[in-house]
This record gives sequence, structure tokens and C-alpha cells, in this order.
Amino acid sequence: MNQLLRFLIVILPVVVLIFFAKILLIDEDIKFSTFDSKNFPEFQLNDLNGDPVQSESLNGIKILNVWASWCITCLVEHPFLTRLSEQNIQIIGLNYKDSDLKANAWLEKHGNPYLFSIYDPRGDLAFDLGVTGAPESYLIINNQVVSHIQGEMNQRKWNSIFLPLIQQAKQGS
Amino acid sequence: MIIKKFFIFFSFIVLSTSAFNQVVYEFEDSLQEKRFYSLISEIRCPKCTSGSIASSDAPVSRDLKNKVYELVLDGSTDQEIKTYVSERFGDFSDYRPSLEGSNYLLWFGPFIFLALMLVIFFIKRRV
Repeated sequence: MNQLLRFLIVILPVVVLIFFAKILLIDEDIKFSTFDSKNFPEFQLNDLNGDPVQSESLNGIKILNVWASWCITCLVEHPFLTRLSEQNIQIIGLNYKDSDLKANAWLEKHGNPYLFSIYDPRGDLAFDLGVTGAPESYLIINNQVVSHIQGEMNQRKWNSIFLPLIQQAKQGS
Repeated sequence: MIIKKFFIFFSFIVLSTSAFNQVVYEFEDSLQEKRFYSLISEIRCPKCTSGSIASSDAPVSRDLKNKVYELVLDGSTDQEIKTYVSERFGDFSDYRPSLEGSNYLLWFGPFIFLALMLVIFFIKRRV
């Protein structure tokens, strides 16, 4: 009995320690980026030029980036997105709770890395996607929302979260 | 003089609280109202470290409150509303985790731990 007790006294704290250490050591970015993929929500919105957006435009491998002209962090990640677009990564913008005038002026001033931007002034599509604020980015493969990054997109998050999934998808097809 | 100071102080309090009550939700009956307020205290604000959407004025919490309000008026059940929210913002959004999978540990872990401690305590006393 005494032996069992001694064993427990040693082993219990170790088990508890490992349990909590595991939780603490999970990378926050990765914790929130993994989820069961779901269909891209249905929507009827125009792009920033006023043309209706076709859902076929979400076929293939696309990055959906939530941005707004009022969003300061969007400006921080903007050079990185521009570099991605130069590497032929297809990025679609989701202009979130913004005015089209200000949004278009912003793109003109800072450059436009997007194929086009969906204009979502009330944030309806954003709500269905689970957007909590700008900026956020989604990886969309053939109309399926596969992964999600909250906050600024950068090289580290790109390499650890989106890139492996994109490579996997390319190998599969 | 003291009365004047007190008046200024008091008017600050009154004015500041009125600023928080921008949105007024109107309900058809008190049951709807009760459900709404209990729901918004059980849905986690996705933008906050820890807090319900009731306690948050983040834009996404405002949208969530408006949506919950809409769904309550439409006659959706509490479970339907929570599913609606968790489909979009993840299981993380429910402050009352469902009884499944790894959540069992969350619900019963403390009791298992307590039982273990009690067992050890009694073994030790006998020794």
C-alpha cells in the first residue's frame, strides 16, 4: 500500500505537469487554424467595381483575405500579400465593413494584390465565415474553407499553416 | 459647494451609463427577453480573451447579439441558436461545453481528481 502511495505521489504531479505543459505549448495560431473544413457560405454580393461575384471564382486554391481601409494591421501585412500575389498565389479580398469609395482609394494608394475584392459593407458574409475582425485570412480549396488565420498574415504563419495544406492539395490533385 | 460638486459627480455617473445603453432590444414577451439575456451570457466573445458577448462591446459581439436577438424573435430554440453560432465561430464560442469527446475530462476531471485525493487521504490515514 505504501509503495502504491509513493508511486502515486511521484507520478500524479508528473502527469498533471505534462497535461498542462501540452496545453500551454500549443502554438496559438495553429490552435485556432485547425478545424473541420466546411463549404463556403452562400452569398450574393458585388465586388468593389459593382459586378456580382460568381461562386465559381472560389474554385481551385484561393486565399481569402479580410481587409478594410480603416484597418491598420491590414497595412502591415499588405507588403507580404503583395509578394504572395507576385508568386502567383491567387488572393481574393473581402472588404469588411468599409465604404467602397475609401476601399478603392486605399487600393489605389497601396497597390492591389487581389484578383478582386468582395464588397461586404454590413459584414454578412464575414459573419457566416466566422470573421472576428480584420485582418483575417482563409484558405479555400474548391469552395471548401480549409483553414483560418486570425490577425496579421506573415511568412511564419504562411509557412506553418497554409503552405503545408496547399502542397498537400496540389499533390492530391 | 459640496452640493455642487456632488451634482457634477452624480451627473457624470448618470451620463456615462446612458452611453452604454445605445442598443435597446424590444421583445414580445418576458420569456424571449429572459432567453436572450441568458444566451448572450453563455456565448463567448470571439475577440476577447475571456468574456461573454453580453459583457463585450467589440463589433463582432454587437453583430452576434443582434443575430441572437433576431433568432430569438424568429422563434429558434436555444440549441438551434448555439449551433448557429458554433457553426460559424467554433465550439469555443459556447461557454457551456457540450458533454462529448475530450470535454468529459473538462466536466468530470475535477471530481476524478477529488476522488483520487480522498482515496490517497484515507489510505494514508490507515497507514
